[in-house]
Amino acid sequence: MLFNSLTFVVFFVVVVTAYWSMRSWNARKNFLVVASYIFYGAWNPPFAALLFSTTAMDFWLGRRIAKAKGRHSRRGWLVGSVCMNLSMLGFFKYGNFLLQNFQWLLARLGIIYQPPHLDILLPVGISFYTFHSLSYTLDIYRGVLKPTKSLRDFILAVSFFPQLVAGPIVRAGDFLPQLVRPPALRAGQFLWGLLLMTLGLFEKIVLADTMLSGSADRIFGYAGPLVALDSWLGVMAFAGQIFFDFAGYSTCAIGAALCLGFHLKDNFRFPYAAIGFSDFWRRWHISLSTFLRDYLYIPLGGNQVRPVRAATNLVIVMFLGGLWHGAAWTFVVWGLLHGSYLVVERVIRVLFENRARTNNLATRLLGGFATYAAVCIAWVFFRASDFTIAARMLGGMFGGHPHGDAILTTREMLQIALVTAGMILVHWSLRDSNIETAVMRLPRWIVTAVWAFMACAIILTQGNSNAFIYFQF
Amino acid sequence: MPSSTSNFKRKLRLPRLFFSTPPEIERVHGGPPLEYERPIPEVPSRGIATVVVLMVIAATCAWEFYCRSIGYGPTLNDGEDLWTSARRRVKPDSIVVIGDSRGWFDLDLDELQKGLGKRPVQLAMGGGCAYPVLADLANDENFHGTIICSVVPRLFVAPPGTPPMERAEKAVRRSHTQTPAQRVSQYLAMPLEEHVAFLKQEELTLDDLVKRLPIPNRPYALVSPRIPPYFGTLDRERRARMIEGCAQPGKLQTTIQQIWLPLFTPPPPPTYIPKEEFAKRMGQAIEQRFHDVAAAVQKLRSRGGKIVFVRLPHSGGLKALEDRETPRAAVWDRVIKDTAAPGIYYEDFPELAGFNCPEWSHLSAGDSVEFSKRLIPHLRAALQM
Repeated sequence: MLFNSLTFVVFFVVVVTAYWSMRSWNARKNFLVVASYIFYGAWNPPFAALLFSTTAMDFWLGRRIAKAKGRHSRRGWLVGSVCMNLSMLGFFKYGNFLLQNFQWLLARLGIIYQPPHLDILLPVGISFYTFHSLSYTLDIYRGVLKPTKSLRDFILAVSFFPQLVAGPIVRAGDFLPQLVRPPALRAGQFLWGLLLMTLGLFEKIVLADTMLSGSADRIFGYAGPLVALDSWLGVMAFAGQIFFDFAGYSTCAIGAALCLGFHLKDNFRFPYAAIGFSDFWRRWHISLSTFLRDYLYIPLGGNQVRPVRAATNLVIVMFLGGLWHGAAWTFVVWGLLHGSYLVVERVIRVLFENRARTNNLATRLLGGFATYAAVCIAWVFFRASDFTIAARMLGGMFGGHPHGDAILTTREMLQIALVTAGMILVHWSLRDSNIETAVMRLPRWIVTAVWAFMACAIILTQGNSNAFIYFQF
Repeated sequence: MPSSTSNFKRKLRLPRLFFSTPPEIERVHGGPPLEYERPIPEVPSRGIATVVVLMVIAATCAWEFYCRSIGYGPTLNDGEDLWTSARRRVKPDSIVVIGDSRGWFDLDLDELQKGLGKRPVQLAMGGGCAYPVLADLANDENFHGTIICSVVPRLFVAPPGTPPMERAEKAVRRSHTQTPAQRVSQYLAMPLEEHVAFLKQEELTLDDLVKRLPIPNRPYALVSPRIPPYFGTLDRERRARMIEGCAQPGKLQTTIQQIWLPLFTPPPPPTYIPKEEFAKRMGQAIEQRFHDVAAAVQKLRSRGGKIVFVRLPHSGGLKALEDRETPRAAVWDRVIKDTAAPGIYYEDFPELAGFNCPEWSHLSAGDSVEFSKRLIPHLRAALQM
């Protein structure tokens, strides 16, 4: 069920009304489990069984890890959980990719092998709910979480519908404590949740889909060479589109959860105002970057190892982060590019540490601009469906096609320029703050007008919108 | 002594986790305490929300009144989900109309039902290519009914990757992959679209309104041709009817006539492919289409299915353009020859040739009924009914 669909509007109204009219906390939680499975099953009902089996297995494995006496035994159960989750992810998401690469490798060795084509349908949100579930056993193993006694609560933690299919990746340790006591219905919190949902839908439907996606699709789908201006504008359009699409979903999820009395952490913190790539990853898809940091980077040694090893760890983490996004080498290159950006940034920081001139406004702005440009270059690989397209785009961006085509209309160019400028302006003005503070500072009439404007613009789009990009991950 | 209920719980261990109330110590989860609570801005939210709701209602009503005042009326949008709901109604022996918007506007389902004995299912689509739907029906092992296929040559031979093909492919794909949520959304949308005039998905969306801003373009910008404004209504069976405002001479009629011309004019070849190469590829794609259509018809016939191709009326400047760019011999005659299927070309029959299309491409609602009535004997003959 898409947030930007009539079905969801009706579903949400029914769920919120029924949820708050129930007096028993247990009844409410049972109801949320049922609602979450309906939400998920509305895509493809059989996959709800897969979701349940993953959850039930991790619930059981979590108890085994907690009960295990020796270190080896604990580790064994954890390995079981990791293998179970990753093999599920591997089969559904990477099955055909692995087979194709295996075939390619054999062909290089002179062995002709024609693998059977696996007609695998990717369960929506499998990358997200696998991580929700996996965080539980990992945290029990790390000793930061005790296993819950209630399967129902754990099912709800994994399948809670606002964050189920496209994040944020909410760790069981962050969600389970919220299931202990029933939240109280507070008008301010509920209405703030609705405002966040309006903002999220506005970002997705109006800014991503209406203002930017058409231009990005046209540029990346154009089969001929493009001039630099159009190439850059196409990439900037995609940079804005993916931010508004994904941040819009996260904002909706946070808002929907608030309406039900649950608190989810921010998943984005004005990322295009980042100065440097470590700053970018503290602001972009925070739930994934912290997941990778806590469960992969730190166990690999983190910063507490020699610089070369730490740099290697960074690249490994970003390689896997890239692969998490999709079963294609273009995503791997995207991840590796970000890994190398992080390594280069570390070197630069060592070289220029404690230099006074690195802290002035001009340097910060230059750093922000360079970060944005480098992130845009990496987005080329994320968006391009193959390396031919990526090479053509990069060729255009760096002046390789001075006599290429100029296909964007003036209106499209203005839309990209205005939305991108507005986005960067907002990110820079709020980079050390948050939206709640901004709303507190604004005059009431502006808050009212902006909320009404966003709602009207959403109605005007008539639901003529696409699925969220991150659903495919 | 345990009660019967507790015995029941003890036997079924898994449900116990759901139904029993664990002691307090068990109910408190491990892990960090609830350390994160989102900040909630302290603003008079009830007052703000009330004003927002009032403003949104007022703006929506004002927009609806304005749209009605300039001639728009409520009608269903022809999305993939509406098409899918029609596709779902196809039974093994159904009569199905496929093709383009002429099949949509010009064929009256009531008259066809009277004349052919069954109510046809309308699967034609505005600006769509017939082939993906034909192939879908041919590949449907259960289907052995009758197809009435409207042919507009330019749309019929539209190569892969072009909007007519993509539109049809998208609809066919949706019919195979529609999720329960999409189906419910369609059921919820229909009553709204039947009562609200501004719900026009290819005309009055924010995207469409922004596209209409009069901003001059660079010389080589790729500008999509304009799509005709609202001139017909669509019901739940996907029967399209031209509105009176278009059937009568006036600005709307003239505007649409002038929109058809660039829409039916072949676009220039892309700059990055030599002209000869482009022409060669187009020729190959068209040949491939003839071959594929013949194969699909053969497959359909092998199961006892029938097909009749129909060329429906067109007039004025559009007729001149179509006849020049896609002459009868190039597409129509070839389709009939390759498939060995019956065909009804309206100009071949005086009783069908005398109709005038007000906006050059479709019949008015009244004429479509009369045309369908006159078409029945020809369809019966062609289908040997």
